[in-house]
Amino acid sequence: MARTAVKAKHKMTRTERMEAATGYLFITPYLIAFVIFTGIPFLSAFALSFTNVKFISKLEGLQFVGLRNFIRFFSSAEALNALWRSCIYSLIYVPVIMVLSFVLAYLLNKGVFWAKGIRSMVFLPYISNMVAVAVVFQLLLGPRGPFYLLQKFFGAEEPVIPLLNQTWALPTVVLIAVWKGMGLNFLTYLGALQGVDVSLVEAASIDGANKWQQIKNVVIPAVAPTTFFLTISSIITSLQNFTVIQSLTDGGPGQATTVMSVNIVNTAFVKYETSYASAQALVMFAIVMVITLIQWRGQKKWADQ
Amino acid sequence: MRTKQQLAVKWMLTVVMLILGIACIYPFLFMVSSSFKPSGDVLSTPLQLIPKNFTLRNFDTLFNNQYYDFFRWYWNTIVMTGLTLLLKLLVITITAYGFAKIKFPGRDAIFLVLLAALMIPSDIMIMPRYIIFKQLHILNTMWSLILPAAVDVYFVFLLRQAFVAVPEALSEAARIDGCGHVTIYRRIIFPLCMPQISTMLLFSFVWSWNDYMGPYLYISDINKQMISVGIKLFASGQAQDYGAQMAGTTLVLVPVIFAFFLCQKYFVEGITSGAVKG
Repeated sequence: MARTAVKAKHKMTRTERMEAATGYLFITPYLIAFVIFTGIPFLSAFALSFTNVKFISKLEGLQFVGLRNFIRFFSSAEALNALWRSCIYSLIYVPVIMVLSFVLAYLLNKGVFWAKGIRSMVFLPYISNMVAVAVVFQLLLGPRGPFYLLQKFFGAEEPVIPLLNQTWALPTVVLIAVWKGMGLNFLTYLGALQGVDVSLVEAASIDGANKWQQIKNVVIPAVAPTTFFLTISSIITSLQNFTVIQSLTDGGPGQATTVMSVNIVNTAFVKYETSYASAQALVMFAIVMVITLIQWRGQKKWADQ
Repeated sequence: MRTKQQLAVKWMLTVVMLILGIACIYPFLFMVSSSFKPSGDVLSTPLQLIPKNFTLRNFDTLFNNQYYDFFRWYWNTIVMTGLTLLLKLLVITITAYGFAKIKFPGRDAIFLVLLAALMIPSDIMIMPRYIIFKQLHILNTMWSLILPAAVDVYFVFLLRQAFVAVPEALSEAARIDGCGHVTIYRRIIFPLCMPQISTMLLFSFVWSWNDYMGPYLYISDINKQMISVGIKLFASGQAQDYGAQMAGTTLVLVPVIFAFFLCQKYFVEGITSGAVKG
């Protein structure tokens, strides 16, 4: 009796062991790739930031230099200007994309004809190729393009060519990025709005709340978790803007649209200052982390109320 | 009276939304129609969506010019995207199955580490990856784009959720019939979770096809280049030939737009379920 019990227990652990072995077998190929292409790069980014690597592929003569790269970053006007432009970019991008995508989703959700067709139209830019789209925008906004003619038509003496203009290049790039990225936020909001309890809105309406009060006091709080999620993901998207800028302006005119992401790539792949570029990327990473943490705490408070 | 008013509001909203929707897709309309116009007409008739002087010469310029091998870039991108999808279809689903349906020590801890990696911005990894690609001798090959794309934590997460949602009773019954994990994965989980797997394939297709930073940084040989970098080279090389530029951009966008209209449902559900990254 006792023997069979022991045997049964032993057998259990063996099947369990088999199960575990199968489990590791299933995830190992992925884990190896993950360690090579994400784990090691992430950790080496930290290591690189505190060394003096130049010319990316030459690792001989590698030296620990402490905080020198970071000190250099915070005392370089060029780098700080890029950081400042990144801030401006995000400060325009995030509010505009959030408000626009909410308003569009709200209106569509109110009930329109051809809702599916309109939904697709708003979403389409999101899946399009940024570089291809940039070529189109360079024509649309370029000299002799429709936007130029439109300004002429409205009597502008010297029409602006936004992507080639020191002042307007950055805001223009941001607005194109909003157009391109809006589809995702729009659809996410649409999903959230469809989940809002209609009876709540009706109750508010019966209590005499006007349209604006209904939106402000019922709808917006109901989609707050979505807003939170989208705000963070939009902030992160707004910092990873290399493709948008490189394809539209190459960081120009002059340095007008050279934001952090562009500056990092240029430092590493044009000036070959690998470690310095890595330190800049780390600063950006720190900023993303801080924003995420602040939002996270804010969200807790918000949800408690 | 009330319903009439409601109908009027609905029509008004429709008109407003339709105008906004058309504004969103105007660049595409302009692009497609311009690709069939002689270059001289492109900027002089921006609102004429049906070309008056219809021509196919732009596509001829695109494929038969002595400077740029547009077709080569196109083909490279097709192969790269195809291999990426195949690899993801295999590796991501198997991994997600491992995390969802098999018990082993350390499973949850490993999964947490993967989730934490979701927060790493890719910008921070571009230099180290360059060094690693060089060590692995995959720099300047399409594998430098394919392999990192296969490490997509988002879809391991998404598919794990989908697989967990498949009732345990189903796999339990298969086990009693003597099926191992491979059979359960192939015969039960895979077919049942086809919608989520399709969502993964679609988004992966779009991301790989549209990737610019990867080929820009890691591919230096012009003959191995991808279409995103290629179209930029082509457009700056043919700076005055607007028609040919628009023919090129149209061809870059066609596969993705085609996929979108065929599989709209998966795109929309993928996003509204909150599972897709920004």
